[in-house]
Amino acid sequence: MNAEEIKKNAEFLIATLPGRKIEGSEKITVRYKNLVNFARIYRKTDTKYIGSEEDGIVAIRSWANVYTIKTLYKLVLGEKFQQGGIERPFLLNTNKMLHAGNIYDWEGCVDVKNGDKLTGTASWGEFWFVEKNKMLFGNLHAKIKNQNDELVCNVTSRIGIRPGGY
Amino acid sequence: MVKTADIQIGQVIKNEFDQISRELLKTYAKVSGDTNPIHTNDIIAEKAGLKGVIAHGLFSFGFITKLFEDFLDQERDGKIIRINIDMRGIVRCGDLLVTEAIISKTEGKRIFFDIKQTTYTNVDIKKNNKIIKQFEAGERGYISEKDIARGFLKQKEVDDGILTYRERVSMEGNAIIELYE
Repeated sequence: MNAEEIKKNAEFLIATLPGRKIEGSEKITVRYKNLVNFARIYRKTDTKYIGSEEDGIVAIRSWANVYTIKTLYKLVLGEKFQQGGIERPFLLNTNKMLHAGNIYDWEGCVDVKNGDKLTGTASWGEFWFVEKNKMLFGNLHAKIKNQNDELVCNVTSRIGIRPGGY
Repeated sequence: MVKTADIQIGQVIKNEFDQISRELLKTYAKVSGDTNPIHTNDIIAEKAGLKGVIAHGLFSFGFITKLFEDFLDQERDGKIIRINIDMRGIVRCGDLLVTEAIISKTEGKRIFFDIKQTTYTNVDIKKNNKIIKQFEAGERGYISEKDIARGFLKQKEVDDGILTYRERVSMEGNAIIELYE
């Protein structure tokens, strides 16, 4: 891909994506074994996180990584739109995408519990181009809710895409 | 129990983790659902120009979240409100991951932190200018010209000789927690 094409694609995405809602949603069922195994990676020993299934446990905060990645992969990789009358995927080469930053906002949110059924929806935020390295950066805002329509987390993932990936 | 009255501006909380291995990254990939092979397969990571597997960005982020959970006695003393992180550097197997947060201000029961996560990557140990032990970073060439130019490469005396290592910030950001008392 030449420099002109790179710039043209970056300008198109910067003009098109901000504020756009991504179609579809990601459904995640929270399972006991997964919560425990995840907590053990972070050397958690408290029964609040790794206790028995009968007593009930909650997810450690880092379990947000699970719904973030599932939502990011499913919705971003499935995103398609028209550019100059031709359908194109958001990412032209998935290996060119980097995770550049992340915000977890739990203000007013409830805990994730074993058996919860979560739904992730997302929309695009601001996009910007860095001339020096031709990287395109953008924010993806995801809202994660449980089966009772209670908010579990607001996630902002900042992605960076190297030339050839957008 | 952590209470608002005990909090001091400038107070530092910290954790360290030195058990990042290929096995742990495979487990993390399976449990988290982030199965991108650049985190678990050296050959694919090399093809992607990475010289070897890299840790998942959110895996390292997890130690920041853990820092606050542990500080709050697993959120019995308060709640994590918000964590905002810029991912700056790659984390590798064998790295020592040091996560630090310093209290920058307080507003009522809300405590604000500045966060820095640093990786310490061993390269080699030399004795009489001869390499007597080489670590993965030395073998696979993880140290870049940029690392050297930016002064990230350091040396210190250890029992066997002179250890060369890289000290680099992998994540920076801020967080807000809220105490119950």
